[in-house]
Amino acid sequence: MMAMSPIDPQLQDVLDGERDPATLSPDQREAYARLITAAESLQQAPRLSVADRVMAAIRAMPPVPSREPASRRLWRWLARPRAVTVRLRPAWTLALAAALGAVVLLPSEPSGPGTSFPIPGDREGVAQFVGHFPGARSVEVVGSFNDWSRGMLSLRDDNGDGIWHGAAVLPAGQHEYMFVVDGERWVADPLAGRYVDDGFGIGRENSVLIVRPSRGAVTSDGAGESR
Amino acid sequence: MNDGAPTDVDVVARVLGGDGEAFGILIRRYEPGLLRFATRMLGNSDAAADAVAESLVRAYRHLAQCRDPAHLRSWLYRITGNRCRSHLARRRTSDISLSDAPPLADATDTWGILERGEQVALVERALAALPAEKREAFVLKHVEGMSYEEMAAATGARIPTLKMRVHRAREALLAALEELV
Repeated sequence: MMAMSPIDPQLQDVLDGERDPATLSPDQREAYARLITAAESLQQAPRLSVADRVMAAIRAMPPVPSREPASRRLWRWLARPRAVTVRLRPAWTLALAAALGAVVLLPSEPSGPGTSFPIPGDREGVAQFVGHFPGARSVEVVGSFNDWSRGMLSLRDDNGDGIWHGAAVLPAGQHEYMFVVDGERWVADPLAGRYVDDGFGIGRENSVLIVRPSRGAVTSDGAGESR
Repeated sequence: MNDGAPTDVDVVARVLGGDGEAFGILIRRYEPGLLRFATRMLGNSDAAADAVAESLVRAYRHLAQCRDPAHLRSWLYRITGNRCRSHLARRRTSDISLSDAPPLADATDTWGILERGEQVALVERALAALPAEKREAFVLKHVEGMSYEEMAAATGARIPTLKMRVHRAREALLAALEELV
């Protein structure tokens, strides 16, 4: 096996671009040249191409999920029957609970004259998303239920207290989601209760939401637990 | 660099807007580097082509999940690096280079008189002897020319960790080259 000897920190700094190569000793310069030459010898790209193969596979695939125009998707969302149930995140003080209390107490079925809650689909539920993002200019929810497309589900902070909330009718089942803050910062829901790897292998996780099928009254909950 | 070419952000928007053929622009833009990276990681051009093709198809399928299209390059390298690790996990490290790498240079040769092909083979062999994460760090830094910030985005590792891997890779590579020549 090779005997590995430490490289002088000065040489490491030069190789990291943090120091001028002219500051190296002759021995260090030789090692520097050897490593740079080695790296350069690897820089020729292989004469291969997978472009045709990839494009053929893409053409054979269904369209990318977000190809449907946003307006059509929004219309479909608006036209879908829904019921209202909330998913509460109890960790943010009594003030939050009070702010959402009125929503929590909304009946899940029509309860009086003039009340007209749509009848939910048997395999749908409504989840309410709540996030605490003080100072944010916008907060959206993207997830497997909207093909990770922005512009489909925006949260609101009407009183400017940094608590953003919104609701969506979702098919029953498990969904992954993230908050997108100010259009660029993707944030997992710290209170989701369950997370899954985002599939790209570097430890980033999506939040998990489980929506149970509705039977007149809808329950949706985070990670299978009503909040 | 732009020369009027559409930015990655523009191309991603076109693809997500329904123009699937626009993905070809991204393939042409990043395929050479991804193939080079995968080849250096796997030591086998066929396996590298498979890994890159799988990665690009996966990238297309999940393009809506690309959280920052302005840093698409790092995202593509991350997916490709992931595919390479999967390939590597399915076979022993010792299988990686020996079947593909050209024979070692003659022991009497010196660094200065090696022909380029032999030199590349020598370096490839030394590189293949490195652990995968050090090999990845070295290739991203010195072959793909990434900054440590880009490397962090492409690997998910922290910058100090990456620096340590690169430093260790340099030491191991230098030692291997000295031993092999």
